[in-house]
Amino acid sequence: MSFLIPCPNCGKRSAYEFRFGGEVKTRPEAGSSNEAWLGYSYAAANRDHSQKEWWFHTYGCRQWLFAVRDTVTNEVTETSLPEEAP
Amino acid sequence: MSDQMDSRFHGNDGSSPSSIPANGQVPATFYFNGRPIEALPQDTVASALYRSGRRIFSRSFKYHRPRGLLCVSGRCPNCLMNVDGTPNVRACMQPVRDGMRVTHQNASPSLENDFMAIAEKFSWAMPVGFYYKTFTHPWMWRLAEPFIRRAAGLGKIDNDPNAVTDHPYEHVFLHTNTTVIGGGPHGIQAALEAAVAGEEVVLIDDQPELGGHLRYASSTDDTPETTSSTESPFRGKPHVGLADLLKSVHETPNITVLSNATCFGLYEGKLVAAMHRSAESPAAQRLTQLRTENIVIATGAHEIPLLFENNDLPGVMLSSGALRLIGLHGVKPGERAVVVGTTQAADSVCGALEATGIEIVATVSLEQVVKAVGKKHVSALQTNEQRFACDLIVMCGDWMPDAGLVGQAGGTVAWDEERAVFVASDLPEGVSAVGAVTGEDLPPAIGISQSASANPKKVFVCPCEDVSLHDLKTAIDEGFDHIETLKRYTTTTMGPCQGKMCQQAAIGICADQTGQTIQETGRTTSRPPTSPVPLGVLAGPHLHPVKRTPMHAKHDEIGCVWMDMGEWKRPLYYGTPDSKRESVEQEYWAVRQRVGLIDLSTLGKLDVVGKDAGKLLDKVYTNRFSDLRVGRARYGVICDEAGIILDDGTVSRVAEDRYFITTTTGNIEFVQEWLEWWLAGTGMCVHITNVTGGMAAVNVAGPKARDTLAKLTERDLGNKRFGYMRCRQAEVAGVPSLMLRIGFVGETGWEIHFPAEYGEHVWGAIMEAGEEFDIRPFGVETQRVLRLEKKHVIVSVDTDATSNPIESDLAWVAKLDKDDFIGKAAISRAKDRAPREKLVGFIMDENVLPPDGCVIIADGQPAGRITSVRYSPVNERIIGLAWVSAGLAVAGQSITMRVDGRPVTAQIVDEPFYDPAQARLRQ
Repeated sequence: MSFLIPCPNCGKRSAYEFRFGGEVKTRPEAGSSNEAWLGYSYAAANRDHSQKEWWFHTYGCRQWLFAVRDTVTNEVTETSLPEEAP
Repeated sequence: MSDQMDSRFHGNDGSSPSSIPANGQVPATFYFNGRPIEALPQDTVASALYRSGRRIFSRSFKYHRPRGLLCVSGRCPNCLMNVDGTPNVRACMQPVRDGMRVTHQNASPSLENDFMAIAEKFSWAMPVGFYYKTFTHPWMWRLAEPFIRRAAGLGKIDNDPNAVTDHPYEHVFLHTNTTVIGGGPHGIQAALEAAVAGEEVVLIDDQPELGGHLRYASSTDDTPETTSSTESPFRGKPHVGLADLLKSVHETPNITVLSNATCFGLYEGKLVAAMHRSAESPAAQRLTQLRTENIVIATGAHEIPLLFENNDLPGVMLSSGALRLIGLHGVKPGERAVVVGTTQAADSVCGALEATGIEIVATVSLEQVVKAVGKKHVSALQTNEQRFACDLIVMCGDWMPDAGLVGQAGGTVAWDEERAVFVASDLPEGVSAVGAVTGEDLPPAIGISQSASANPKKVFVCPCEDVSLHDLKTAIDEGFDHIETLKRYTTTTMGPCQGKMCQQAAIGICADQTGQTIQETGRTTSRPPTSPVPLGVLAGPHLHPVKRTPMHAKHDEIGCVWMDMGEWKRPLYYGTPDSKRESVEQEYWAVRQRVGLIDLSTLGKLDVVGKDAGKLLDKVYTNRFSDLRVGRARYGVICDEAGIILDDGTVSRVAEDRYFITTTTGNIEFVQEWLEWWLAGTGMCVHITNVTGGMAAVNVAGPKARDTLAKLTERDLGNKRFGYMRCRQAEVAGVPSLMLRIGFVGETGWEIHFPAEYGEHVWGAIMEAGEEFDIRPFGVETQRVLRLEKKHVIVSVDTDATSNPIESDLAWVAKLDKDDFIGKAAISRAKDRAPREKLVGFIMDENVLPPDGCVIIADGQPAGRITSVRYSPVNERIIGLAWVSAGLAVAGQSITMRVDGRPVTAQIVDEPFYDPAQARLRQ
C-alpha cells in the first residue's frame, strides 16, 4: 500500500500520513432499532470500486476529510473537507 | 539533490571518466579469514581475492560444492561473504576499505576443505522435495533440524544487539518528474532526453559508475560513428562514446544520479524503492523512496549460464564476468581458456581475452560439450570428441532481459517468439522501457539447447539452491508441471539471485518436458524485492522519540527509577533500583499521612472552546456536561458505538463556552481525533486544541495538601469556597494556573495545570512550601497503589477492548436518560441483558502476590483474570481488581487462583479498600 491522497489542505501526500476512518455511513437516529444499530456498528458495505471514506490527516493538517477511493486500484479520485462536502 | 547526500553513499556520479575507478583511490589492505590481501584502487573484495589467487569463493547451499566467480556483477550467489560482521555481502560489488575484515560462509573448516562436502555423497538421500518426502512426522523434523540448520543455508547474523543498532541505516524521500532505472547507454540517453525536455530526472544505477556494459566492453574501434547508443556491444563493436555520455550527464543540472543503488521494487502511486550501498561499509545502507510521475525501465539484460555437467565448477565463468574482471578490475581470469557458445558470440569475447594474453584453446558449441573436468577447479573441458586442458571455461550464455520490475510497474512480460526472450510489453501510462529490456539489441538466443552431458544430476540450473536439471525433470515427472508449482516444489528461482541465473532455464526445461510452448508455460511472478534487501534497510534508523516532562531535571536531581509510558518518561518511584519496596511505602505513607507531590504533565489535555462545546461533549461522553456549572469538574468516560470504553478523564468547565479536558497519557491523540470526528461536518461551533505539551501538571495530595498550597496561593482553599470536584483559576507560586480539586489517590488534593515553562519553578515552590510537612514526591507505582485502594479503574489496564461501563463497575457514568450519545444503544443493551463478566475488587486471604494477569479458577475452569494487584500498606493485605464471571461477582464470594503452583484464595469485596465513605477526600 503506497497510494497517495490529495489532502484538500496539504496536497498530495502518502497514505501513510493518514488514519483510515472507514466508509462513510449514516448514523441511525436516536431510538432506532437494535438491528439498525448493530448494522451501523458492525456491517460494512465493502463496495468494490468507488467508495466514500473518512480519512484523518494525522501527520499533516490533523483534519478529517472525505475521500472517494477506488477500492480495487486504490486511486483516490476526490477529496473534500466535511464542511464543504456537497 | 546529490549535494545533500551523505558522502558515504557517493558512487561516481558520472563526473569523472570511466577509466578512473570509483572505489577508494589508494591501494588498501583488507583481511580475508585473517590473512592480509592487497587491493588496488579499482578492486572490489572479489577482484582483489581473485588476483591474489583465490578461486573458490563459496560453498553451495545444499551439497557444499565449491563455487567461484560467475557473473562478477552482483547477480549470482557465488561470492556471498561476511564483511565486517555483515553476512551475505556480494564480494564482487563490495569496494575495499583499508582494514576490512572478510570471512567465508557456510564452509568448515575452510572453503578449500569443507567437511560438509560429504553431503554430495548423500545426494541420493536428498532428492528434490526431500523435506516433503522425508519429514512425514513432526518428530523426524525435530531430530533432523539441528543438522540441517548447520549444514544448509547462507551466512550467520551477528546476534550482538549493539552491533545491530549501530548500523547506520537511513531513509531518504525524494520527489521527481522522471525516474530512469538503469544507467547503461539507453538509460543515460533516456535521462538526457527527459532532462532536455525540462524535467527533473533521477537516474538509478546499481553499479558504482554509470555506463552499463560500456564500462567493461573494451574499445577496439575508435571511429566516432560507433558512438550511437543503438550500436550493440554484443556484436563485437564496443562502444567508444561513454565518456561523452557521462560528460553530458554531468553537465545537466537536472539529472541526479544514484549510483550503487539497486531498485528492488515499484509500488502503487509510482513509488520507486532503491537500496543504496555505501562505499565505506557494507552495513551502511540507505533506502530511497522516490515518488515520480514517469518511470523509464532501462534495466538491460544479463547473461545466464549454459547447462552442462559441472557448469558450476570454479573456473567456469560467464563471458560478461570474464570481461568485467578484465575491463573493470584489470584481473586476468585465467591463462588457457575454452570458449563455449555460438561462433558469433564467441568471436565477440575472444578478442578481448586474447588482448590480455589469454590463450584461447578452443571454441566449441554447447552441443559438443560433455562436461567440465576438475575437482575443485576446472582443469579441462570434455567434448564428445576430445578433452581440452584449460583453467578457464567462458560461457557465452543467452542474454535475459532484466524485466523483473516490469510486472511491478503494471506491465506484462511477454514471450517474444522471434527473439526467443521474455520482453517488457503493455506498459501502463507513465511507464516506458528502453534498451535490452525490450529485447532490443540482444543477440539471437540459443534457448534450451542440450549439451552432450550424460549426467543431469551435475547440471546445475539454480546455483543458489543447488537445483539440478535432474531435479527439475523429476519434479515435473512427479506432477509439478506448472511453472509456479515447479518453483515452489524445487525452490528454483527462490534463492538470493531471485531467478536471475535460473528462471529462463527453468521455464525452458518446463516447456520442454511438458511439450508446451514457452508462451504456454509462462513465467513466475516477479514480486518485490527483486534483489535481497537487509531487513535493517527497510526498518530504517533506530529512532525512538522520547518525551520528557518540564520537571524531568528535578526528578533526576532527586534520583528516581524511570518508566516508559508511551513516548513519555515518568518516575516510577524515587530511589534506587533495589529500593522499590521501601521507597514506594515511604511515598505511600507521605500521601496518606502528610502530603505528596506527583508530576502529571503527561496527562493528555484539551482546550475545548465554543458555544456548542457542551453539546459536543454530551454527544461523545456517556455522561452529561452541558449542565455542568462553571467552576465544576466531573469524571467522564468515552465509549464507542459498541459501548466499549475508549478513554476516561476529567472535564472541567472553566467558562460558559470553555471546557478543559484531561485524557489518559497515551490516548490524547486519539481522543482529539475522536472529538474532531464527531465534530466534522456538523457545523457545531467548537474549537479543539491539544495543549498537552504546553501545560505542566502536578497533583498535591494528602492531609497537609491544603496547608502546603495555602502558602503559595491567595485562593481560599477551604471546603466552602473550594469543595470537592470544583475547579478554579488561581495563581500558584505566582504562575497563572487551573486548580482542580479531584482525588484520584483518595486524599484531599489539587491537580494544578500551568504553563510548561514554569514546571521546575512550581515544582520547586511546592517542595519548599511542603518542607515543614515533610512532603515527598511520589511516582507512578505509588499512585497505582493509592488508586487501587480506592478501586479507581485505569482504562486499558483494568479494561480492555471488550469492556463496557456496565460490566466495569462504572454504570453510573452512562446517563441513559440522555437523548443520544455515542454508544448509548449498545450500553442500553448491555444493561438489559445479564452481564457475562464483572470487574470486581478482591482481597487475598494470605499475603501472596499473584502476578498481573493471573487466571482465576472456578470448578477447575478459568473464570476470570487479575488486572491489577498490589500490597495495600493501610490494610496490610494484598488487594486487587479482577474480571470474574458474573456468577462469582458477589461480595464475600471466595475465588481461587494458582500462584507458584499452589492454589490460593481471595474474597470479593464490594466497597473501596480505603475510605469508602470518601470522608478524607472531602475533608
